[in-house]
Amino acid sequence: MTQPPPEAPAPALEVRGLHKRYGRHSVLHDIDLTVAPGEVYALTGPNGAGKSTLIRTVTGLAFPTSGTVHLLGRNVHHDGPRARAALGAVVEAPARFHPEFTGIQNLRMHAGLAAMAPGAERPDMARIREVLALLELTRMADRRVGEYSLGQRQRLGVASAILARPRVLILDEPTSGLDALGIGLIHRIVTDLAAEGCAVLLSTHHLREIATYAHRVGILTGGRLVDTVDLRSRQAAYRFRVNDPAGAAEHLRRLPFVGSVGTRTPYALAHLGDEARVPDALAHLAQGGFRVLEAAPDHFDLYEYYRERVEVAV
Amino acid sequence: MTLFALELRKLLRRRSARLGLAVCFLLPLLWPWAPRVEALFGIELVSGWQLPAVSLGVLVQFLLPLFIAVTCAELIGSEVSGGTLAPLLLRPVNRTRVLTGKLLVALLYPLLLVLATVAGSLLAGLVVGLGPFTGGTGLGPGFFQGVGTLTPGQALGQVLRASFLAAVMLLPVASLAVLFGVMYLNTAAAALATLATLNILRLFAVFPESLQRLLPTSHFDLYVRQADVTPGLILLLIYTLGFGVLAALAFERRDV
Repeated sequence: MTQPPPEAPAPALEVRGLHKRYGRHSVLHDIDLTVAPGEVYALTGPNGAGKSTLIRTVTGLAFPTSGTVHLLGRNVHHDGPRARAALGAVVEAPARFHPEFTGIQNLRMHAGLAAMAPGAERPDMARIREVLALLELTRMADRRVGEYSLGQRQRLGVASAILARPRVLILDEPTSGLDALGIGLIHRIVTDLAAEGCAVLLSTHHLREIATYAHRVGILTGGRLVDTVDLRSRQAAYRFRVNDPAGAAEHLRRLPFVGSVGTRTPYALAHLGDEARVPDALAHLAQGGFRVLEAAPDHFDLYEYYRERVEVAV
Repeated sequence: MTLFALELRKLLRRRSARLGLAVCFLLPLLWPWAPRVEALFGIELVSGWQLPAVSLGVLVQFLLPLFIAVTCAELIGSEVSGGTLAPLLLRPVNRTRVLTGKLLVALLYPLLLVLATVAGSLLAGLVVGLGPFTGGTGLGPGFFQGVGTLTPGQALGQVLRASFLAAVMLLPVASLAVLFGVMYLNTAAAALATLATLNILRLFAVFPESLQRLLPTSHFDLYVRQADVTPGLILLLIYTLGFGVLAALAFERRDV
């Protein structure tokens, strides 16, 4: 008896036929999107495309004109408290807190609110200190939030979002106002959470940085989701800086695991299917008498793709 | 931690709430040193027990509704402008519970203001004297003239009764400010709408008495009434509840 094929995991976040109008003005048109557990879905698009409205509607802060949003199978607009039980979110950049309270006091407030979900445990002080340390805010923990810089407030927002160990994380412009180290920190946290099975939806304008860790990118323009790019299927390409790129590309084409080849002087490009094939490709090039000066993943240029896609949509 | 405790903590940190409480407490301290207060109110002050009536008479028609309108509108408006309402609603909390917490705190605020007024008045009353006296507190039978001699216990009873009635009388103002807060999501607009509504209702004095009896503003003298106050109390509580229910219904599907 044959085994049935493994079922795809149920989406952690599911948006179906979402429309949103303000009076006569339509802001979102027929949005469908899903985010699976462990997936990082980045939402991008020009200013005014409807990203923030979509995020607010997905989190239940705004109500759709039609369509549904489910978080872990629960309708966020009809069964809000239970749907949001496993949600962590920051919907404004920088994140907002009560400025008269300290970082710890604000997080304690959120810990108490998170514990209002049926059967939920209240994050304790150890967890609060853990997330503050994770976001490198220990030094600021007992200072009033009014004294925080924009970047520190943004990091406190992420600390608050991950406080109750969410299974769905939604972040609007999470790296806005952050310096390079802060951006790296957020990337690491998002990647680690996704690796633990958390579904992540985030909006961003930073295409080149998101291309390094998002699994899929949705391009929203004029309130329509005009394209969804699966970056996983586009990142198996490698580039080899060689003395003869055209000859090296033709030589690589003979390998059975190589999907397609090309050149971009001074590089020979090849889709290897898997990072583990790189040593084989290098050995093959050496056998063919090619001098390899550099080998590296050839990241899909999301920015160029986005620019073309948005121009076409406009 | 309950939402009520959280909201109360936030209320007591608000500048508008603190300013209102400070004014209510400090203003009565002026009376013992104000030479024209007796002429202005047409009374002869013979006891410190009469100062709560003077203070409530000054504050209850304009300043207390103003403080209540601004602070209660701010319970929603400042959270929207400060961006702290959205993070609250992103938590697994029922919107009705969130609004109920805010509404209960809003309803507590008139009581706190009245208590601050009475506390300040009685502190000022120590200067004039809080012993037995012949006359009235201004809050019981015979008003300031009284109906004989009052012991401190009797005077305190009249002051507490009037304080309770004054606080209840102001509940619809708090509830209305929360309703406008939900509708406008803006402190200034909600406070203005509340005060404008109260003033327009007062203008309804031009309409027949049968209609006036149904208006909340017609009962803004409840705290000094000596006859049966039950119908007025019930009407004011109906307004309070009605505005509160409307606020909860509006908040349930309000985009934030």
